[in-house]
Amino acid sequence: MKKLFSWLLKAFAAGLLAFVVLTLFCTLYYNVPVHYSNTDGSTDYSWEKNKFYSRGTEGFACGRTNNEGYLNTYDYLDGMDIDVLIMGSSHIEAYNVSPSESTSCRLDALLEDETIYNIGMSGHNFLVCSNNLEHALKKYKPRQYVIIETSILLFDENAVENAAEGTMDELPSYSGGIIGMLQKNQFLRLLYSQFSNWKPEPKHDNATNLQPLQLTNTHKQSYLKLLNKLSQTAADYGVQLIVLYHSNIQIDSKTGKALKDSSEFTNFFAAYCETTGITFVDMSERFKAEYDEKHILPHGFANTSIGTGHLNKHGHRMIAEELFEIIGSEDECHLHH
Amino acid sequence: MSFASLEFILFFIVVFAITLILQKFENNIYKEVFFLIASYFFYGYWDWRFAFLLLFVSFSAYVSARFIHKKAAIVVGVVIPLIALGFFKYSNFFLSSLSVLVGGKLGTLNIILPVGISFYTFQALSYVIDVKRGKIQAEKNFIRLALYISFFPQLVAGPIVKASEFLPQLDEDRQITRKNLECGIQLMLFGFFKKIVIADHLSVFVDDVFKMPAAFHWLSIVLAIISYSIQIYFDFSGYSDIAIGCAKCFGYDFCPNFDLPYLAPNVTDFWHRWHISLSTWLREYLYIPLGGNRKGKRRQYINLFVTMLLGGLWHGANWTFVLWGALHGLALCIDKSLPKKASKNRFLNGIKVISTFLFVSFLWIFFRADNFMSAWYVIKGIFTLQQGIVQLFSWSFVAIIAVCSASVLAIYRSKKNKQARVNSFYPLFKLNTVPGLALLFIEIGLILCLGFTGEHPFVYFQF
Repeated sequence: MKKLFSWLLKAFAAGLLAFVVLTLFCTLYYNVPVHYSNTDGSTDYSWEKNKFYSRGTEGFACGRTNNEGYLNTYDYLDGMDIDVLIMGSSHIEAYNVSPSESTSCRLDALLEDETIYNIGMSGHNFLVCSNNLEHALKKYKPRQYVIIETSILLFDENAVENAAEGTMDELPSYSGGIIGMLQKNQFLRLLYSQFSNWKPEPKHDNATNLQPLQLTNTHKQSYLKLLNKLSQTAADYGVQLIVLYHSNIQIDSKTGKALKDSSEFTNFFAAYCETTGITFVDMSERFKAEYDEKHILPHGFANTSIGTGHLNKHGHRMIAEELFEIIGSEDECHLHH
Repeated sequence: MSFASLEFILFFIVVFAITLILQKFENNIYKEVFFLIASYFFYGYWDWRFAFLLLFVSFSAYVSARFIHKKAAIVVGVVIPLIALGFFKYSNFFLSSLSVLVGGKLGTLNIILPVGISFYTFQALSYVIDVKRGKIQAEKNFIRLALYISFFPQLVAGPIVKASEFLPQLDEDRQITRKNLECGIQLMLFGFFKKIVIADHLSVFVDDVFKMPAAFHWLSIVLAIISYSIQIYFDFSGYSDIAIGCAKCFGYDFCPNFDLPYLAPNVTDFWHRWHISLSTWLREYLYIPLGGNRKGKRRQYINLFVTMLLGGLWHGANWTFVLWGALHGLALCIDKSLPKKASKNRFLNGIKVISTFLFVSFLWIFFRADNFMSAWYVIKGIFTLQQGIVQLFSWSFVAIIAVCSASVLAIYRSKKNKQARVNSFYPLFKLNTVPGLALLFIEIGLILCLGFTGEHPFVYFQF
């Protein structure tokens, strides 16, 4: 009995020691801040403010969140003049690339005299961003452009309708209670992430974004209603709305050549954007051209499957260059007029 | 169920707890019956119908050995299991090959390959042959024989344990002890680390390259081939470690299945270090009966070649495996024909080890590729210095560092112990000390944190 008690004591001490070592390891390998609900409504939640973060599970990047909990290299100051506001998902948020390689940082460098502010946030798909657009414009008052980034265009009919009606549920942040407290330990956070990913599902190929879905007329009407609403909101605040769409490059397994994204839905969406006065930027051609010329893929990292997952540094660069071409040329047009 | 699953961990805990109770009884039969039920549950968890096939193979081996002096015994004990193996594993392969040959469509049969059939059929065969050769006595108790063939740690992917090694352990009073448990758990953890952390992560890159070799830069293809060499080693040796460790927890000993194969200076030595239980089986039950080296050099080469050709076919019903086996057979023949001279020149020995590794890695292309066309694209990509996606996969470098570090440690240890041959070893922690326990907990934590979370079954399950 005495022996067992002694061993249990040793095991407890060893467990504590191991916990500390693993937490230190995860501080560098997977240090993800907690999400907190955002009261101003420009996003449903944002990261913990002024917090060091690092990620080694998909690419490797580390940095610091700004005073609002967004991934910008500078803080937001009240009354600050913002020229271009970027909204979107974890892709444009850019936690998988170093802060200087993100779209917003690169665009900031390209558009020397203009201020770019990025409020991209994980889990904020096109519909969530659409739902938050008015609040974001109200708060940040961008002078020229608001960009909504998305890697998915095709959504369920009800979800589109809810976004058009402004009746979408807010994304939960789970920052309170025991779960919120446990999230602050990086080792436990990574364990949770690992267990929640431990699903025996077959790996998806590059074609997951292309779903053969027949759109009904009501579905199309919901889209039109949503895009009209977005366009009107942007016009009310005197900015041009840009919808930035990027999808994974699909590669022909036999030839190794990039296949063209032949989604009919993309064409349909682009046509609706045009009729509603929204600038639609489809990165597919640009991505394909760079792949054909240099074999560079915009998605995927050195520790993940190629061409899938989040935007990598090349993807961010290509998007920044594409946006610069559009914004730069439109700026010139404005000057001439 | 797969070792790398939550189901297995639960299964292991339950079996362990019940065994702890059953080992208090003096009569071993309770424990043996329980292990048999647990093993059939383990096997039937995939598809309960195949538990009957396992039972059939066990029963045919039992009956055959009991009546070994009768002429029909060898038919029951050897031919019937081989027919079962041939039907389930090779029917569609022969049908499709025949279709190509006659230029028609013969169609295929709707057959599911029973997991581990190649492994337990070989165990059953070795038992019957050993009884026939008089090496062991025929087992009178069917439960013990059925347990030998179906014992869950080695059932689905080996090691291929010989009856002469396992059955005597049942006679002994093998118990769960603290010492066995400490060793067994640590071996299992090593296996899990190799499989879940290293091999499964490498599979992401390797699968990408073999899925579309035409898209990759030749350097990335080379890295993928090296990665596959490490992946298959860590995958299969990881499985063997889990199997050996699992058996050890219950007090049973299995022989090591791998012994630093990539430190082999030639192909012959590689096969003494890689999948040792299969190499031994092929040598004892195929190569030697064919005549081995007793009938002259020419016959020896033919025997070697045939053994490796069939060894290749054992791995899978595909011509790529046959070619892989044939190329290894040829390499063994060439190696046997070369004069053997031990060199003390470290540089020269290093070159030999690297050349053997590169040669073996090259042959893995045929093992991994789905068909000849895919293998051709991979080879063509390298030799035409193909341009394409440059993917310097970070887990490949982690794996290379892990293999090199383990090799350096093993070499250092063998020098220190003045051993002529470098052997693998497991640095086991002392689990009655705080540092030892802390290292064990850190190892568990790292497996959970760094483990690959997608689906990727053990490579050797398909065999």
